[in-house]
Formats: sequence, structure tokens, C-alpha cells
Amino acid sequence: MVNLQNMLAAVGGSLATVAPEGAVFSSHWPLTAIVLLPLLSFVLCALCAAFGVKSKLPAWITVASLAAAFVFTFLAFRSAGPILGGHGADHAAHAQVHVFDWMNFAWGDTQDSHGVFDADFGFYIDGLTLLWMLFVTGLATLIALYASEYMAHDVGLGYCRFFAAFSLFVLSMSCLVMANNLLLLFFGWEGVGLCSYLLIGYFYKKPAAVAAAKKAFIINRIGDLGLLMGILGVYASFGSVQYDKIFELISKGVDGAGNPLTTSNWVPVILPLLLTAGAFGKSAQLFFYVWLPDAMEGPTPVSALIHAATMVTAGVYLIARMMPLYTIDTAHTILNFVAWGGAITAFWAATIGMAHFDIKRVMGYSTASQLGYMFAGLGTLSSAGGAAHVFSHAFFKATLFLACGAVMHGFAGQLDLRKLSGVRKIKGWGIVAFAMFVGALNLAGFPGLAGFWSKDLILASAFEANPILGWLLLLTAGLTAYYTFRAYFRVFEGPISYEPGEDFHGDAHASHADHGHAEKAHGHDAKSHDAHSKGHDAHAGHAGEFHPHAPGWAINAVLLTLSVGCFAIIPLLALGEHGGWVGHMVGASSAALHGTGEGHGTFLGMDPHKVMYYVSAVVGGLGIIAAFVLHLLGRTTSAHAKADKLEPFLGPLVGWARHKWYVDEFYNMVIRVPLKFMAHVFHGIDQYLVDGLVNLTGFLPKGLGRLIRPTQSGELHGYALGMAGGVAIMILIVMMVAK
Amino acid sequence: MSDRLSFLYPEISLFIGTCVVMVLGLSRTLKMRKASALVAGLAIIVAGYFAIASTPRSGDALCPISGACYAKGVSAAAGQMLLPDMPLFAKTLIAIVSLLLLLPCAGTVDRADESAIARGTRSFDPLRSNRAEFYAFFLFSITGLMLCASADDLVWLFLALELTSLPTYIMVAISTSRNRGREAAVKYFFLGALGAAIFLYGFALIYGGTGSTNFNVIASVIRDQGLNTITLAGLLLAILGVGFKIAAVPMHFYTPDVYEGAAPQVSGFLAFVPKTAGFISILLLAAIAGWAYAPGQSGLGGLFNPAAVTPLRQSADASQLPELLRIMLWVMAALTMTVGNVLAILQTSVKRMLAYSSIAHSGYMLVGVIVGPGDGRFSHNGIAAVLFYLLCYGVMNAGAFAVLAALERRPGKDGEPREIETIADLKGLCATHPQLGWSMVICSLSLLGLPPLLGFFGKLPLFTAGISANEIPLVIILGLNSAIGAYYYLRLAFTPMLEKPDAGAEPIEFAPFFSRRVGAMLSAGGVIILAIFGSPLINEATKAANVPVATPADASADPTDPNQAAKALTPAPRISQR
Repeated sequence: MVNLQNMLAAVGGSLATVAPEGAVFSSHWPLTAIVLLPLLSFVLCALCAAFGVKSKLPAWITVASLAAAFVFTFLAFRSAGPILGGHGADHAAHAQVHVFDWMNFAWGDTQDSHGVFDADFGFYIDGLTLLWMLFVTGLATLIALYASEYMAHDVGLGYCRFFAAFSLFVLSMSCLVMANNLLLLFFGWEGVGLCSYLLIGYFYKKPAAVAAAKKAFIINRIGDLGLLMGILGVYASFGSVQYDKIFELISKGVDGAGNPLTTSNWVPVILPLLLTAGAFGKSAQLFFYVWLPDAMEGPTPVSALIHAATMVTAGVYLIARMMPLYTIDTAHTILNFVAWGGAITAFWAATIGMAHFDIKRVMGYSTASQLGYMFAGLGTLSSAGGAAHVFSHAFFKATLFLACGAVMHGFAGQLDLRKLSGVRKIKGWGIVAFAMFVGALNLAGFPGLAGFWSKDLILASAFEANPILGWLLLLTAGLTAYYTFRAYFRVFEGPISYEPGEDFHGDAHASHADHGHAEKAHGHDAKSHDAHSKGHDAHAGHAGEFHPHAPGWAINAVLLTLSVGCFAIIPLLALGEHGGWVGHMVGASSAALHGTGEGHGTFLGMDPHKVMYYVSAVVGGLGIIAAFVLHLLGRTTSAHAKADKLEPFLGPLVGWARHKWYVDEFYNMVIRVPLKFMAHVFHGIDQYLVDGLVNLTGFLPKGLGRLIRPTQSGELHGYALGMAGGVAIMILIVMMVAK
Repeated sequence: MSDRLSFLYPEISLFIGTCVVMVLGLSRTLKMRKASALVAGLAIIVAGYFAIASTPRSGDALCPISGACYAKGVSAAAGQMLLPDMPLFAKTLIAIVSLLLLLPCAGTVDRADESAIARGTRSFDPLRSNRAEFYAFFLFSITGLMLCASADDLVWLFLALELTSLPTYIMVAISTSRNRGREAAVKYFFLGALGAAIFLYGFALIYGGTGSTNFNVIASVIRDQGLNTITLAGLLLAILGVGFKIAAVPMHFYTPDVYEGAAPQVSGFLAFVPKTAGFISILLLAAIAGWAYAPGQSGLGGLFNPAAVTPLRQSADASQLPELLRIMLWVMAALTMTVGNVLAILQTSVKRMLAYSSIAHSGYMLVGVIVGPGDGRFSHNGIAAVLFYLLCYGVMNAGAFAVLAALERRPGKDGEPREIETIADLKGLCATHPQLGWSMVICSLSLLGLPPLLGFFGKLPLFTAGISANEIPLVIILGLNSAIGAYYYLRLAFTPMLEKPDAGAEPIEFAPFFSRRVGAMLSAGGVIILAIFGSPLINEATKAANVPVATPADASADPTDPNQAAKALTPAPRISQR
């Protein structure tokens, strides 16, 4: 390890603002290893599948490779000190690492700079890259360890498939984050999309999972079209897709042909808008959010890693990475759009989360909502706040998901908060409850925790930019605290009472049941035990019928690590006022924003940066108290709480929220039905008109072929004649031209 | 002397391997007989090693046998080879692809005999065995191919071309025990002889027109005195004749019949080895004339009007072949790809289809020959594109034929297993034999040129080079033909992938030779891996396509001045472009 560190050791103490290639990293191999290790793991898991391995080997391969990738990332971070030392530099400092020439084309007139397409396989290393890679590889390792136990019911081909896709995901995510050009980013972008599809649809025999996978994939395609058009537009404008070239041109204020950028709306507005479409699609914002809650059909480790911690933050990463492009426009048109899109999604998703009963779906909506915060942070010129929230959210949301997953795993797929209660008090569930509690406190923004610091940064900058935006987000913070603790109080506190989920078959091994395979599920075999459970020991009360399956060491270890991290390590080391360490990392990257605070908004006449810590703590506390009063105080059954009595006062609102405000139905009516109608129309056109034309066109080569086919008579003398005649005709043609 | 000899170490090691194989293949013990294939592979690996280690490159002071030296200092520059860096790349690629081609050759000959011997119904009879011949001819042909790359003289080139071709005639004949193979071999032999006669006539005319068989001398005569009518006619005939090796129109007629008649592994061999020999020869012949002629000049007027002999002259700033040569190659390229593709559409037999498609690929590559070295960068360099495409085509073509070789249908009435014939036989292959099915899918999509695969990266520089040389109509024809090619390659890719086997279809089985499957999968893997990590090879191809620019000895020289002409026979110094 010492040698590795030597390899990575920085050469020279002080670096220029732009680190020349190879100055920081004397060899590209330690960095390339970060990408190669998941690739190796993917190949090995695929081989395991090919050789029919029926043990936990794939999991250990994955955990070991990802842990090694994390170590390499950490070493890279350690040796990248000189880059991060560029804090406060005018142009963000970075190191470029060239691995191999990937695509390098040139055509046309050599003088024309647009006749070159150049995309290396190389890495762009700065604070933003390292920040993202640290949590991607770190969380992936922990979650792989968790999954080794969680997926144990499926040991065999499914297990290999799961870990192969898992490794492929980490590979793609690393390419996405570490790329030094937009094309490689796009490659990783599509790769994570593919893995997301594969893993959501992991239980491919369950129709809901397949539908969710398709939905995620298709909705992402719409956003990706925007991203692709944006990348092509960037290439058309700047003549390159390499970050350093783009940023250099932007800092000079000219495009690839030397024209000033601000003469038209094309570069300052349209390009960022197209990239934003991609970012919103991947990060489930605004119109695109609908896929994310459905994606919870995937196995829980997948939800935790892909659909909470890493992949969905790719949109935030894209905007943060391309921040120089977004800030060309001094009016910040698109950044305002990003901020409002984020804030509206945050509020919208939070209202749905308040009404849902499925705790995993609640967390899914919560993810969309928190991603909205991140975009609001980016849009209100607080890239440090956005990134800090990505970082803290990655950890605490992963914790929450993994805790929900442990419940789901132990209670045969039960996720309905009306059918679970008092889980904390059951033997063996302490760590899960503790992790859930820590995660919930973080999500609610309890003072001093990771989620508190990062959310406050965003709230303060939102108030500064536009008080209406700030109030919307502050209200959402209260709602967040409420729905988070609603889930916690209902499931983990109160009297012990539970029903097994639909995977329970009434046999002794119910707890090991495959909770995903719908073909095995036969509805609710078990009786409702609500009535009996009051005051009884759960185990005694349900002997012989259903035993919750307490999580094993791997799940507990991961949950404990993560909750300690969220509770202590991250707030102490990584975050704090003004983003702390994370703020420093972002400040030393292309996402750095200088001269924030252009807005003059205030919070009731006070400087939002100073008062927001107290205000948000109060709002969060109110949310928790509301949840406590409505869902825990005096609750005697799992199914009903005081909150039910409020429903008549709210009229149809609750029902609408519970039905996701009928957005899916709306999309179905406005988009799908007309499209389907058009599809029928076009099908007719295709069948009669286009096919006819195509057949006509296809007839041409075929007809030509039939015409010359007789020359292939198979007779020797015919061929010889053909050759001699051909030579003669060729010479004749040349002669005719010569004349 | 020994350092001159090192130039030929690859060929020499192949030849030693050939001698060993000939003896081993006749051994009485089965193990020794089986070792002949291993020795053949070993010889190719050793040859590949020597190709990399001891092939001189420009800048080395090494002299090839004929005395043409590599540039080091001004004095040696006089005899610089026309394509000084080409042999290194060409020989390396030949070694790589011939290894891939050797793998599916297991059990091509003597299969029935060997099983009879194993059953004990017959004892080994050296007179009936073909194993020694087969592998020996395989190696002979590769030796000839490498010698083509080393050629610097017309006589050498002719002998090398024939050494490449003659063994293939016999390989076709002995590869199957059916009469169809013999018929194919006879056709191939006679038509090959006709082709050889044509290019030999061309060589003779070149000699007549320039007074030398040495490439350097010919090139310097052409450069200094212009391209006279006889030399030009000789070049045209030579290229047309060599067109037989690459199956270019109008010399393509034999291709489908011969490929169909031979065993698939031998067809794969035919699609690569003679074609590579042909392209190397055409590149050398084109390099003799050079790519530095201004457009619009013509030199053939003299054929009809001896008074109007206007020798073609090279100019320093132009980058084109002599106009008439260019026109002929242009017509050849356009016709070759079109004929190959439109006839491939109509085929139902896989081998015939691949045969026609191999014609089409030759047409694609001719575009690169027309473009020439351009400004030296890969995307502008037609020669580099041809060399790289040869590698790509070699790998993916070896894969497609190896899949066919690795499969067979149940034995027919004569008790011999039968080959895959129609595309319909491949239905559902991905489900029944996943390794081979997916190999076929990957290789045929790559042959089509689908973007992430190797074929795309091979074809793209042909397009960019064509555009950079302003050959827009030809590039359009190339694009249209790629589209036509998609028609049948997609059929070849989707039949194994999407369709289900017909209810009453004959079952397809593995041929009992593991190495055939390995060959198919290695090639398919190569198609993917080289597409991702192909950059070093692209760089090598670009280096290999280095064409030292010839500068006319004296632009104002009067070609009729006998003193000048005599002086011009001593090669003038050349300046390398980079």
C-alpha cells in the first residue's frame, strides 16, 4: 500500500492553476484501476454465471473489487492534495489523466478545426470528481456487502446476475463521473441507465417489476435525447467534447470558431436547457419524476445504491460539472428554471410521500423530493450546497433504504406501515431501528446532523435568491420531517404488531421466502394479528405461524457503519457551516461559483445565512412533533392512528395525494393515448405506403442482382470469357476517358 | 549478410515449420500426426515474433536482399523502399489472422480415415493421408503472403503471389471429400492461371517500358521521365490481373463457386490470404506510379496517336494517382462493391453470401488505394485505412467462417457429416448453441459495420479518407453499398438471434473439434476487444502507411535528352514527408 501511495504521490508541492497532464498522478494505473476493478468483477461474476456457481462467491468478488476500488479512490484523493490546494484559484484546478486514445477522427480540410472529433478515454480529476467517486465506491462496497446477505435467497444464477449488473453499474458510474469528456460521460450515462433497467427488472417474472423497468428506461430515454442533443450542440459550438477545451473557450468567452458566446441564445440558454432535460430525466425531476417511485420494485440494495445514492445524482453532477456553461448567461435563465423545477418537485413529491402507506415508496418519493433540493441548490448558485446535499443524502438515504430493506427482508416483503408496528422492540431489530432513526433524523434535518448542514446551505441560498422559493423549500422541509417520522413512528415504535407480507407461505421457512417472485406469492396466507398482539410478546403470540427473520451480521454491520457515519463522522469531518470539507472540494472544481449572493432576498428581513440554522431546526422539529402526536401518541393498533381522524377535514386532498395526484393517469391520457392513436395511424401508413416504397427501393438492388446473376453460370469457360472480356472492357473504358 | 537475412526471418521460420510439418504429418503414431497442427501454430507464432522483432523499419540501416536500402543518411536514401514501413505491420497482421484461421482447420482432412484407424478397421497408410500436405500448404501460402509484403522486385512479387496461390488450389481440392470441392479447385486453378497470365503480361510491359524489374528503379524512371504509354498499360494490366486475388470485378466470377465448394474453414482462408496478397501487391504497384500526380493528366493518348505522347509527371503539391490508373481503380471499386452486394442479397447459402460479401469488401478497400497516403494522418490516409481494414476484415471474417466450420448437420447417406448450407440452418442458433450463435451475431454485425464493433472503426477511415481526397461520388457509392450490405448482414445476424428453428428442421450439432469453437469465439472476442483498444493498432497502421515523397529530379528536365534519361536511371534522393 505504501508503494501505491508512492506511485500516487504528488510530484512537486505547488501546482499551476491547471495541472499539466501527469504532474499529479505519475501513472494512470491507480486511477484506471478504479474503473478496471468493477470491470474485472463484472467479468468474474459473468464467468460465475457461466460456470453455474452456487455459492456466495460472486458477492465476495464484488465486495473485494469494490473495496479495492474505494481504496484506490481514497489514495487518489490523498495524493490529489495539490489539486485541491487550488482553492480560491480563478479557474478551477484539475488534473487530466490520459488512459488511451478512444476516438480520434479528422476529416475534410485540415485547416478546419471542426473537422476533428477527439474523445480520449481519460479522466478529469478535480474536487467534484473525487467527492463523487468517494461516496460512489464507498457506498457501493457497503451495499454490496449488505446485498450478499439480502439476496442470499437467490443464490445461483440470479445471484451472479445481480452482482454482475451491480459491478457493471459501478463501472458505468465511474466512467460517468471520472470522464474527461462528454462522450465518455454519455457512455457511462447510458450504462447506468441500462444497469438500472436490468436491476429494477431483476424479478423479471413479476409483471410490476418489468413494467417499472420499462417505465424507467423509456422515461430516461426522453431525457437522454435532450442530453445527446446537448452534447452534439456543445460539439457543434465548441468543436470539442473535452471538458478542458470547453472550459477554456468559455473562460475566454468565445466558441470554437472564435465568435463571442453571448451574441445569441444558442450557447447560453439552449445548450444548458438541453443538458438540463437529460439531468432532470436521470434525476427524476419535474415531469420525469414518475419513474423513480416505481423503480422501487427492484431489490432494496438496488434502490439504495442506484435510485437513492448514486445514479439519480448523475443529473446533479452533470449540471455541477457543466456549471461554467450554465453561468455564461448572466441572467441565469436556465439556473432559475433548474431551481424552480427542483423546488416544485421537492414540494410535490413530499405531498405524495405524506399520504403513501408503502414505506419504500415513501422513501422513493422522498428521494425525488430531496433531489429537488439539490437542484434548487444548484439553481440558486449554491453548487457547494447542492453537492453537500448529494453527499449527505447519499449516506442517510442509503441507510433509510437499507433499514426498510431489512424490514422487508424480515417480514416476508411487508412494507405497509399500517401492518407493522413496534419493530424496535422485537429482539434482534435494535440496530435496524437505530439506523432508521438516525436516517430519519438526518432526513428531517435535525440540528447537527449531516442532512441539517447540507439542507440549510440550500435553504439559505434559496431565500437569498428568491424568498418565494425559500418559503416553498422551507415548507417542504417541514413536510419532510413529518412524513419521515410518520414512517418511523408507525413501523418502529408503538405496540408490537405485525403481519407478514405476501411472500409468507405459512411454512417454517417463510422468513427465507423469496419476497420478489410473484409466481410464488399467494396473497395473505396469514391472519391478521392486530387484535391479539396488544401487550403480548410477539414471538409467543405467533409461535408456529410467522417469525420475523432478524437480519444477520452483514446487514447489521452495514447499517451500523452507515448510521454511525451519518450520525457522527460526516457531520464532524465532512460538513459544517458553509459546506465544510465538501464545500472546499466543490470550490476546487469546475463547479466552483464565485460571487454568490447576487440575490438580495432575506428571511423576514434577516440574513438567511445566519438565521436559517435556527429556522430550519424549528420547522423540522415541528414536523417531528406533528408526526409524534398524530402517529404515535396513544396509538394502540398498527392500522389506525390519530391522523386518520384528520382525513375528513382535508376532503379529497388525501385521496388525490395517495393516488399520486393522478399524474400517471394524466400522462396516460395526454401522452400515451394520443401516441397510441398516432401509432395506429402511422402503422397504417407504414404498412401500405412506406413498406411499398421500401419494397420498391429494395427491388432495385435485387433487380440489379437478378440482372447480373446469369453471369454466375458456374461454367469455367463462361467465367474465363467473363474475365477476359472484363479486362477488355476495362481497358476500353480507360481508353475512352483518355481520348 | 546475416543482417540482410534477418529481414526474412519470419518467412524462414515458416518454411522450417513447413518442413517439420510435412514429416510429422506422415508419422505412424497419432500423437505425432496431431502435433503437426501445433507445429504449424508454433511456426506462425515464431514468424509473428520475428515480424515484430526483426523487420526493419524506415530509419534502420538494414538492407533487404536485393540491395534496396532503408533510409539512413542521404546516400542510402537512394534505394529506399516504396512503402518502407508496410512489411512490419503487414507481416504482424498476417501472423495474427492466420493463427485465427488455423484454429478452425482442425480435422479438415483425413477425418474419415482417422476415425477408421481409431476403430481399428484400417491401419495408417501414408499414401492416403492428406494431413501433412494440408498444414504444409497452409504454411506455404502464409510464407508466400509474407514474401509479398517484403517484395521490392517484380519477379519476386510474381513468385510470392504464386507461392500464395498455388497451395490454396490444392487446399480447396482436399478440404472436402465431395466432388464439389474438386470441381471448385479445378475452376480456381484454371481461372487463377488466367489471372496470373494477365498480371504477368502487365509486369512484362512494365519491364519493357522502364527497363527494370526493380521497384525503385521503375519508380525513379517514372518519376523522372514521366509515365510512358507502355508502362501505364503494364500497370493497368498488372492491377487488373492482381484483381483476381482480391476478387475484384471483372475477375470475381470464381469466388462464390470456389468458396461454396471448399470447406468453410478453407473458404475463410481464401477470403483473407489471397486477398491480402492482392492488396499488398496493388498498393506496391500503385506506389510505383505514386500518388503525386495532378488531376486531369493523361498518358494513354499515345496508344492511338504516337505523336502525342505526353508523359505523365508527378507534381509536388498534387495527391492523386495518375488519372487513368485512378479511373480504372475507381470503376473497379464501384463495380466490385455493387456487384458483390447486390448478388449477396439474392443468396440463400451462407457461404455463397459471405463469398459475395468478400467481393464487396474488396471494393471498399479499393477506395483506400485510390486515396493514397493523403497528408499522413490516419483519417486522411487511404493506405493506413486499407491496412487496418485488412486486419479488421481478417478477424471478423475468420469468425464468421469459423462458426460455420464449428457446426455440422447429421451425416447423410454417405456417412459423412454435412456442412451448414443455408441461412435457415442457423435459425435459433443463439438459443441452441449460444457461444457460436452470439459469435456469428457479433461477427456479422461487425462485417456490416455497426458502430461499436470493429468493422465500423475499419470502415470509417475509408469514408474519411475518401472525403478528404474529394472522392465524393465514390464515397456516396460506398455509403449506398454499406446500406445494401446491411440487408443481408442483418439477416445473418438476426436469423440466429431472433428466429426459432423450424419444426421439422434438422438438428445442428457441434463439429467434434473444440479448437473450431475456440477460433470462432476468439475472433468474436477480438472484434469487440480490438474495437475498444484498437488505438495502438491504428497508430501502427498509420506509421506503416508512410510513403516517402518522391521529388522529381529536375522539373525542367527535358525527357528526350538522352543524358538526362541516363542520369534519371540512377535514383534521385528522396525526402521523407515527416
